[in-house]
Amino acid sequence: MQFCNGDILIVEDNQDDLDLALHVLKRHNLANKIMVVRDGEEALDFLFCREKYDDRSFHYPPRLVLLDLKLPKLDGIEVLQQVKGDPRTKTIPVVILTSSKEERDLMDSYNGGANSYIQKPVNFNDFCDAIKQLGLYWLVVNQAPVNVKPGPVAGQKQ
Amino acid sequence: MALAHNLERLQVLLVEDSAADSELVLRELRRGGFEVTGEVVGSAEQFRSALRANPPDIVLADYNLGQWRGMEAVQILHEENLDIPLILVSGALGDVLAVECIKQGATDYVLKGSLARLSVSVRRALQEKLLCRERLQAEKELGKKVEELARSNRELEQFAYAASHDLQEPLRMVAAYTQLLAERYHGKLDEQADKYIHYAVDGALRMQALIQDLLAFSRAGRQGMEMEPADCNLVIGEALANLQLTLHESGAVVNYEPLPVVLGNAPQLRQVFQNLIANAIKFHGPQSPVVRISSRPSDEGWQFSVQDNGIGIALEDVNSIFVVFQRLHTRMEYPGNGIGLAICKKIIERHGGRIWVESREGEGSTFKFILPALPSAKPAVAQAVRSENYEQPSRSLVG
Amino acid sequence: MSNPAEVLLVDDNPADLELTCDALERSGYPHHISTVADGREAVLFLWRKQKYAGACRADLVILDLNLPRKDGRAVLAELKSDPRLRATPVVIFSTSQAAQDIGRSYELGANSYVSKPGNLKDFFAAMQLIARFWFGCARLPHSEES
Repeated sequence: MQFCNGDILIVEDNQDDLDLALHVLKRHNLANKIMVVRDGEEALDFLFCREKYDDRSFHYPPRLVLLDLKLPKLDGIEVLQQVKGDPRTKTIPVVILTSSKEERDLMDSYNGGANSYIQKPVNFNDFCDAIKQLGLYWLVVNQAPVNVKPGPVAGQKQ
Repeated sequence: MALAHNLERLQVLLVEDSAADSELVLRELRRGGFEVTGEVVGSAEQFRSALRANPPDIVLADYNLGQWRGMEAVQILHEENLDIPLILVSGALGDVLAVECIKQGATDYVLKGSLARLSVSVRRALQEKLLCRERLQAEKELGKKVEELARSNRELEQFAYAASHDLQEPLRMVAAYTQLLAERYHGKLDEQADKYIHYAVDGALRMQALIQDLLAFSRAGRQGMEMEPADCNLVIGEALANLQLTLHESGAVVNYEPLPVVLGNAPQLRQVFQNLIANAIKFHGPQSPVVRISSRPSDEGWQFSVQDNGIGIALEDVNSIFVVFQRLHTRMEYPGNGIGLAICKKIIERHGGRIWVESREGEGSTFKFILPALPSAKPAVAQAVRSENYEQPSRSLVG
Repeated sequence: MSNPAEVLLVDDNPADLELTCDALERSGYPHHISTVADGREAVLFLWRKQKYAGACRADLVILDLNLPRKDGRAVLAELKSDPRLRATPVVIFSTSQAAQDIGRSYELGANSYVSKPGNLKDFFAAMQLIARFWFGCARLPHSEES
């Protein structure tokens, strides 16, 4: 199976969950660059290449966005709808990673175009395992859409 | 050209205002063996309409006709898009003017006082035109043949690619199901059955590898060749990253000096280094494989060397190893389909370079190839850039 | 997820259908597989029409792209434009690695895209990871409903 260097955007405001997720991803060598934002507005700024992220390009989207639902400033569903509603960003894989047990959140997420939905396990080991599984699946097995022409000097794996 | 004994037909258009001079010219031509039909015109309009009505074999023009210069006839011939030779038949013009007229398009210049030359001049002009036409025709046909050949090559390549691509699917089925058979029935049928299944699986897996190699070879020829500055240090880094497992398992050591930036296609160059390094490791001798990569400027660009301490190659095999599917050893001795070097050669040649090997059996091999330097920097200058950027004399990657 | 997941497999190659079912079996997660061999059957199944009136609602669709009678892309587009069914996760499972096929699938709303590996070992490994993620890690949308 191919291993692709990937960027992940994690949208999470809970420090413990964030630290754990980062730890698991790095330990299993699952991602090269991980970007973290702490609220919905910053997530949109990042993905839409604006405000302090205006040097970003739509041609180099993250391979995966891990999106919590309960976020300050703008909640996850709102972020999801904006990302999935814009042709420039709609193909970015967005996986909801939330502690919410609400059926409503589950349906709103999938209906809103979320690629998948994971309920954060309460148990520490299960949480680590979930991060590992989602990392393996979305970064190794899943093929993300390719928008971009790779740089000339970097070379490519075939 | 020998003078024909029969009369040669010649249709002449004379641009001349003196009836006497016209008569002289025509008589001279008849004396020279031509059966002449001629028309005489005195002005540009008459000239033009005569050309349109009845294009002649040759135009004989006087230089000085009062209202217009005879050289304007050349102009008109161009405008009418007619490839008819024009000979100036004129009084003394002087050398400078004569040469000028020839430069402007007159085929030749004959003095009215030396009309005896005229027939020879006419014949020569006609001959030249004939030869010129034949050459143009030949060039056109050559051009067509070249184009046909290129098209045929493209079609063949596309066919090879399409065939390999389409073969993958049924092959996948064969490979998968023979393996499932092996898994499900191993030890449950008899020994013969196990053996048969094993051979089938082996064949299927080899076919899959072959098809993938063919596709890789085909791609090496089809891919767009975006030529950009490629830093060979980064390219080698990528190649070594891809070979991590092999390096680790073989305990191979790869040393490389600081390498230049060349003009090329980075992914394809990565393939070249990767194939050469993989080979160097695969065909190792009793010692642990050590690979040294270096470069030096050459007048063709940069010359790279990939040197190993492996089993080496016999002199008589040195050319055939670059041929597709050409292998020097049995599959039992060394795995592989014999396509790696053919791919290297294809890629290097598409870059405008060449690749060869220097080797002795039992004494290792050095594969050398040439890549063009960046157009702006001559190798000598690039050398200076190199020593500026890279401080360490060499780096090694131990697997 | 207490109930076994309902999986709809859409593939016109019976050999691949068999391989996929086998691989899913090996994953060890409880699931129930329905299979259809062309796009039109897929649509009938998903909307529970005609002979599929009594079918279970699909919790996950594993969809090949090149299908007879109705192309996989068309099935995907129809599914994702129906508000009653668009939440259904669709994993495109295709031999194609072409960037246009991948990109187009996501544009039409595919949740995931997995290339069918050519090698048997990798095929089983990929299916294992697919099963482990979608049955063992993710929450599927209709799982709580009867």
